Amino acid sequence: MRMDKINTGDTAWLLASAALVMLMTPALGFFYGGLVRKKNVLATIMHSFFILCLISVQWVLWGYSLAFGPDISGLIGGLDWAALRGVGQAPHETYAPTTPHLAFMVFQMMFAVITPALITGAFAERKRFKAFVVFTLLWATFVYDPVAHWVWGGGWLGKLGALDFAGGTVVHITSGVSALVAALVLGRRKGYGAEAMDPHDATMTVLGASLLWFGWFGFNAGSALASGGLAANAFVVTNTAAAMAALTWMTVSWLHKGAPSVLGAAAGAVAGLVAITPASGYVDVSAAILIGLGAGTFCYAAIQVTRRLRVDDALDVFGVHGVGGAWGALATGLFATVAVNAAAADGLVYGNPAQLGIQAIAVAASITYSAVMTFVILKLINLFVGLRVPESEEVLGLDASQHREAAYQI
Amino acid sequence: MEILAFASFAALVIAWIAAPSKGEVISIEAKKAA
Repeated sequence: MRMDKINTGDTAWLLASAALVMLMTPALGFFYGGLVRKKNVLATIMHSFFILCLISVQWVLWGYSLAFGPDISGLIGGLDWAALRGVGQAPHETYAPTTPHLAFMVFQMMFAVITPALITGAFAERKRFKAFVVFTLLWATFVYDPVAHWVWGGGWLGKLGALDFAGGTVVHITSGVSALVAALVLGRRKGYGAEAMDPHDATMTVLGASLLWFGWFGFNAGSALASGGLAANAFVVTNTAAAMAALTWMTVSWLHKGAPSVLGAAAGAVAGLVAITPASGYVDVSAAILIGLGAGTFCYAAIQVTRRLRVDDALDVFGVHGVGGAWGALATGLFATVAVNAAAADGLVYGNPAQLGIQAIAVAASITYSAVMTFVILKLINLFVGLRVPESEEVLGLDASQHREAAYQI
Repeated sequence: MEILAFASFAALVIAWIAAPSKGEVISIEAKKAA
């Protein structure tokens, strides 16, 4: 065991970052929970909380091995590390050479947890709990784990030179695109477009967004895998892009609808956090401002388009995560600079247009793969389990019909 | 890059000053009743 290589500062930061990222999933539950109607809030929060439990077990049994285990043809990891065989306290030489392998594994676990939780916003208020459970397990195994391997586990996209510091393609494009597919396959909620489906508690949503922002420092700055200058850069650009995107979304919605929306500011902050995620270890603060500006504009516009097309992506997952993730991945190809990260590459602005092409390949590959696989998984589940609750149960609400509980007794 | 960053922030500040208030103002209670 090469325990002498362990750096206590790096290890402390990575474990603290894992805890920060863990908090993001229940925070997402509150972010989404506030946006749904009162009769579905508990079911919506349960989606995130349940996934935290489900994927925590899936990841240690086989998920981590598929994503980060010994490479098979650049496509998937082997099952050599199933049940964490061989993953111990000594560092792994390439993934995180100054921290215990177990610390890297648990940090990555929290990414695997939150990614399927992001999708739940698209099928909120109408999906059967049983179908949701099976979908999450299959999606994590057949979509998240392979794509994580492609980019971070020694797979073909990483070898191609795709830059994704903390998960623009692996986390946000896969979840955002899958959300769009799920919304289309499940169909609209009963009464969509005919009756008001206003958020039942905007304060809960703003609190959830704030906790997401807090946790995102672990997500991005933790992805430096060391407590040094790169982590500090990622921390600063993360905060800057989130703030700029919140300001931009609020402003665009103000100009469009005549009032500065509170929920718009919260959604904008999340869009900015999404967009800076792949870039956070490669860009400087000026680029972060431009990335935030783009996130606030493009994600807001995408949501107007999906609503106009009457796609019932209930909580706008595609607009925020799909479009925000794609913008962030492409912006990395524009603004990346070796002045921030010498181990990476310059982007188009710094004289390397090829990097933008590589980023576009990564975006296209993750969109195509996650869309096709999500469609197949949903269709299979619909055959055997049934995706939607019966109409009567949808009217009653999922808290009562799926969980036999009520969120509020006051 | 720095110029673009300053310019984009300045554009937002100008937009806040110029942004109009559109639409009828109604109470939350009236909206709920509707």
